[in-house]
Amino acid sequence: MKELFQYVPGQSLLHRLNPVTKLILTIMICAAAFITSSVFFLLGLLAVDLAIGLIAGVARKTLGILRGLMKIAVFLFVLQVLLSRQGTPVFWIITDRGLLTAATVVLRLVVVCMPLALVLAVTRVSDLSNALVQVLHVPYKYAFTLTTAIRFIPQFLEEMSDIMEAQTARGIAFDQARGLKKLGMMLPLCAPLLISSVRRTDQTAAAAEIRGFSLRTSASAFRRYPFHLEDALVLGFCVLLIAASILL
Amino acid sequence: MIQLDQVSFAYPSQGPTVRDLSFHIRKGEFVALLGANGAGKTTTVRLIDGLIRPTSGRVLIGGADTAGSSVSQRARRVGFLFQNPDRQICKNTVREEILFGLNAVRAEEGPEKLAARTDRVLADFGFTGDEEPFSLSRGQRQRVALASILAAEPEVLILDEPTTGLDYQECCHIMDRIRRMNREQQVTVIMVCHDMEVVLDYVDRALVMAGGRLLADGPVRQIFRDAALMERASILPPQMIDLSLRLDLPGADSPETMADAILAAKGGKPA
Amino acid sequence: MIDIQSFSFTYKNEAEPALRDVSISVPEGGFLGIIGPAGAGKTTLARAVCGIIPHHYPGDYYGRISVGGLDPVEASLTDLSRLVGLVFQDVDSQIISTMVEDEILYGLENFGIPHAEIPERIRLALAQAGIADLQDRTVASLSGGQRQKVAIASILALRPRVLVLDEPTGELDPVSSRQVFSLLKQLRKEHGVTVIVIEQKIMLLCEFAEQLAVLDHGAVLRQGPTREVLAHAEELLALGVNCPRVTTLSRLLSRRLGRELPVCVNLEEAEETARRLMT
Repeated sequence: MKELFQYVPGQSLLHRLNPVTKLILTIMICAAAFITSSVFFLLGLLAVDLAIGLIAGVARKTLGILRGLMKIAVFLFVLQVLLSRQGTPVFWIITDRGLLTAATVVLRLVVVCMPLALVLAVTRVSDLSNALVQVLHVPYKYAFTLTTAIRFIPQFLEEMSDIMEAQTARGIAFDQARGLKKLGMMLPLCAPLLISSVRRTDQTAAAAEIRGFSLRTSASAFRRYPFHLEDALVLGFCVLLIAASILL
Repeated sequence: MIQLDQVSFAYPSQGPTVRDLSFHIRKGEFVALLGANGAGKTTTVRLIDGLIRPTSGRVLIGGADTAGSSVSQRARRVGFLFQNPDRQICKNTVREEILFGLNAVRAEEGPEKLAARTDRVLADFGFTGDEEPFSLSRGQRQRVALASILAAEPEVLILDEPTTGLDYQECCHIMDRIRRMNREQQVTVIMVCHDMEVVLDYVDRALVMAGGRLLADGPVRQIFRDAALMERASILPPQMIDLSLRLDLPGADSPETMADAILAAKGGKPA
Repeated sequence: MIDIQSFSFTYKNEAEPALRDVSISVPEGGFLGIIGPAGAGKTTLARAVCGIIPHHYPGDYYGRISVGGLDPVEASLTDLSRLVGLVFQDVDSQIISTMVEDEILYGLENFGIPHAEIPERIRLALAQAGIADLQDRTVASLSGGQRQKVAIASILALRPRVLVLDEPTGELDPVSSRQVFSLLKQLRKEHGVTVIVIEQKIMLLCEFAEQLAVLDHGAVLRQGPTREVLAHAEELLALGVNCPRVTTLSRLLSRRLGRELPVCVNLEEAEETARRLMT
């Protein structure tokens, strides 16, 4: 679980792209998914997501993310199908329109979530914040908040899995429970964890301050983030994607 | 009590691996796992408790393969004290904390018996029971975690660097209590520890690891006196052992015995 | 280099002061070890020297501190941080990057170190901390001990004139711990860096620190050259602070012989004392 949000070092096309390009690609895929209402186009977008994972050389991780999302997706699909009353029934209370809407909603969810996780897998968080500051002129304070938040997710999950391990070792049956039951067991443990995490964030801010946080300007970053031909190609692809989502 | 048969393990990505590990620990022994960072010590104790499963080989506790039961089922017999007590502590008072652990492993005894057990442990550790764990010091919290584990009276106690981050006094409290359990109730103890003075003071037998393999297995004093082994495993022996080797005064391993030996060699009368 | 005069500090919303009337001075290139039981105010003292107190953690303070001519209370945290480097006790809260290289890079970029100089600084800092091979790893893939070395390297790269380390070897094995202390010794010898270390590993501290300060309940109980402080071993033990076994040995020998032998702080001295007695 915790590995899902971690950076995977590499030299693929996706790794080399400008972080801003990757961000735009993500946003455009999301936008296209919301503009379109065609199930087939959404399937096409899913194929794009999978292709991104494949090109980035993180196929195993991509499938892991997909598997994780599928669990939520199946749950949502069943819920949608059962709640939908429009259209002609095909079986029991299930209708054709219901099936179609459910498929659209669920596909949209998967298509939107995947690129977010994938971009984090192929982008160094510091590159993301540097590029935001250098290229988009986002104030560093906000970029730092964003990167700290991104870093917080895997850290929180790591702590959570350590805590569950310690609780299992003392006889709390985390290793026997599944699904909602496990979630119910986890919730009471979250509160103390959140408190300690917030305290830790405060210390992280101090750690950044004593290493010149407030001196940082858009010229500070050691690495530069110019746009290359491949960035232009990907941005072109984004335009096509949006156009197609409107037309199809 | 604990038996490892040709156990191997590798984490999927990075991390220390363990290769072809075999050893046997008898009931009532007090054993330390020694070795440098990354030698595979923590991996080994996690394998023993079943928190991770060996990729090959078997781990037996009390004759039963750990693959046959879950970690939480075994918790009644096997206690695990982690380096960081805060992963374990989740209740607002020390009494609730101890009861919470007991309820998980000895619920069948009924509330009265568990309350009695809790009172006994609280008295033994000198807690009133109303303390809030998170306002206690790190060493006190480690004692809360230990109390909560010992309340269930496990047969095996696994310790992963239990004294890290504690001051000397807190360290002695924890280790004295563990040794008492070991001596009086024949609890089998296996411990990962970087403080060789603590190991010398409390432990009977040492397993030395390097690069995921077992390098040596024997009585602690004998192990520490093997200079070539210490070098190979990147371990610095305790000061008194080192001194006794330099001065060629075998047998002197504490300041008291060392003073005796030095004065005897001088020809003076040891007191 | 560091001069603390009657400094007291109480954290906001706390009743008890964390530091009481503390006076400590460390000359340039000095090596001060701080010991004391849990809750004695050691971390607060480290924070005060580098200005995190009162800039980041507010509270009431009295007294005066001077670090390299700057007053941490008056000077900005940024000016101070050019002078003083602090290695945190909680390593995971100090590390702000996901890659080892980026963590070292962070402070260098902020302080405007010329870009041409940066790769060499990174290389040297990693080499000094003994983790040259970890440059391209993700922080998440490292062990606790490796992370601790990354935290140390990220401060070393900034080349501060004063280094404050709060239990820098908590996650390290004895050999790595010794390497860290040897490095500190080398830094003060070759570059005149002033070092303050808070440490529970008393054996190492006594071997490397030239001055010791014993803290208890926020107050300095005793301070002075390491050997002189260790001469009061009983007092330390009553506080719950251990002393090295060689020191206990020299004390025992003195008592049995009925005359004062020199206090031993390391193995070599103990060996010499013993040999002299045995021949």
